[in-house]
Amino acid sequence: MGWLQVKRLLMGAEAIAEAAINSGLEAYFGYPITPSSEIMENLAVLYASHRSDRFRVYFQSASEVESINLLMGAGAAGHITMTATSGPGLSLMAEGISYAYTSEIPLVIINVNRGGPGLGNVAPEQSDYLFVTKSLGHGGSKPIVLAPSSIKEAMGQVRMAFELSFKYRIPVIILTDAIIIHMLESVDLDQLTPVSVDANWSARGRNGGARHLINSIYLEPAEFSKIKAGLEEKWKTIEPLGECFMCNDAETLFVAYGISARIAMEAASNMRENNIMAGVFRPITLNPFPGKMLVDAAKNSRRIIVVEMNEGQMVLDVQYWLRRDVELIPFNGGIYPSTEEVIERCK
Amino acid sequence: MKQLSAIIPGAVNTYCPGCEHGLLLKLIAMALEELGITEKAVMVGSVGCSTLAFKFLNIDYVQAPHGRAPAVMTGIKEVEPDSIVFAVQGDGDALSIGLQELFYAANRGIPVSIFMYNNMVFGMTGGQMAPTTPEGMVTMTTPYGRDTAKSGPPIYSCEMLSGLSKPSYIRRVIIAPKPIQLKDRVMYSSREANQSYKAIISAFKTQMKGGFSYVEFLGTCNVNWKMSILDSKKYAHNVSAKVYQPALFRDKFGVDFIES
Repeated sequence: MGWLQVKRLLMGAEAIAEAAINSGLEAYFGYPITPSSEIMENLAVLYASHRSDRFRVYFQSASEVESINLLMGAGAAGHITMTATSGPGLSLMAEGISYAYTSEIPLVIINVNRGGPGLGNVAPEQSDYLFVTKSLGHGGSKPIVLAPSSIKEAMGQVRMAFELSFKYRIPVIILTDAIIIHMLESVDLDQLTPVSVDANWSARGRNGGARHLINSIYLEPAEFSKIKAGLEEKWKTIEPLGECFMCNDAETLFVAYGISARIAMEAASNMRENNIMAGVFRPITLNPFPGKMLVDAAKNSRRIIVVEMNEGQMVLDVQYWLRRDVELIPFNGGIYPSTEEVIERCK
Repeated sequence: MKQLSAIIPGAVNTYCPGCEHGLLLKLIAMALEELGITEKAVMVGSVGCSTLAFKFLNIDYVQAPHGRAPAVMTGIKEVEPDSIVFAVQGDGDALSIGLQELFYAANRGIPVSIFMYNNMVFGMTGGQMAPTTPEGMVTMTTPYGRDTAKSGPPIYSCEMLSGLSKPSYIRRVIIAPKPIQLKDRVMYSSREANQSYKAIISAFKTQMKGGFSYVEFLGTCNVNWKMSILDSKKYAHNVSAKVYQPALFRDKFGVDFIES
């Protein structure tokens, strides 16, 4: 398949769909919502053209409430399943995510963050940060949250999300935005291989063995407390990921994720040309938050500046870990920062 | 009596005395056994008294959120087409919060079986009005009786689903045993359990032939109806069965064998 090794210029949504197929996606259910719909549209074409034998289930649901429950069924049966949505849809999925978390059902959701709250707009924001990282669903359910800052990384994270969702039997969210989904980048389609999963816990019928109970109801408080302790123990073994960009000697350290981090990296590079020692710490997993890495990265920094596309959400995590004054450069409403604006607002 | 493979050995029925939920589960276990599909069965739990099924049935089980069982069932069936997927849903679960999920699973003709236990109240939460509560019935949230001028008339699920082309088997039966008044005591008819069993068999057969099946069982909830067990059975036959008439609504594969 040598010809496939040629790099191709793909839109984020197209690349994510390709990545999902190449990483072994088996079932996709989704409900259209801007700005995520192109992911579903691309998968519709890939499904209809029989691009992958493993990708055998695709259909459009009646609502995001139905979507998440379709995912729960496919996930509980031990198959790789995914959907893409945006904030209003994710709000509707919160119920199912809570059930999936306690029931330990693997599933993957790509959340293309748009402007909110409310109907908001379809421009990029990062305003779902607290929602997805702190309690996505009632009862304190905590999915793993990944945040790509490029299309190439988004593709890798689709595969990583499939792996993590089965390794830890947990919902995984890829938190991205309308910029990543709609921009074009050159990518290599050959980099991803299908994920193989262990599904010997799943509900497909006893088939001669013991029955499998995929459940989230524990009426005895002592029993439920034990179950929750087990979920917490599992959670502690999940490895947080982060990236340092010129952190070591940075007097000014930006903390940003996703597309904001890319803008902050360019700002830091430009500032260095003017002898301002700037760097960027970029959380790759937003949940678990790479707090210890951040503490280490911020050791020598005089100023800590969070750049994010909301009113100030991740800044709370940064303050929690660093226990010191943290500055915030927020952009919201769908306005995203230019490098020059970030530099200007640092002065 | 022979131990059914689909029932957990030694499991006790945790339902209130007089409730037919336990009977329904046992009939399902018997039907799975008769058709030889216990090993392939996956039950999706709904929310309400039906949730307790996992303590009784010894088969694979996935718990759905309130009303969402048909969507979870669809997810399982789509990726595991050889499995036998079914749910017991209450009337509140299926027809109030979960109406959309039920409607779309039926409209797509997903080969699953839904057994809807209609006792005309929310049982688990303590007897509040359900979509199926008949006009005038007193519940915890309708202390002066259901006022259909405000709440609309009860929802007839079999009739509603019959408006869709894809469902293959739709049936309503009464599962509450009919009291037979003898001179010195009361006995209960076995006819209802018998017919309910046949409806379950037909529903599973329909699923095995690739069709969507839905059976509504008229049951009682004497605790929340605030009646004696005997009175609740009389009410089911004298009132429920008049509001919701048992009938065969759809049988595409000709599997129904309940004598009329």
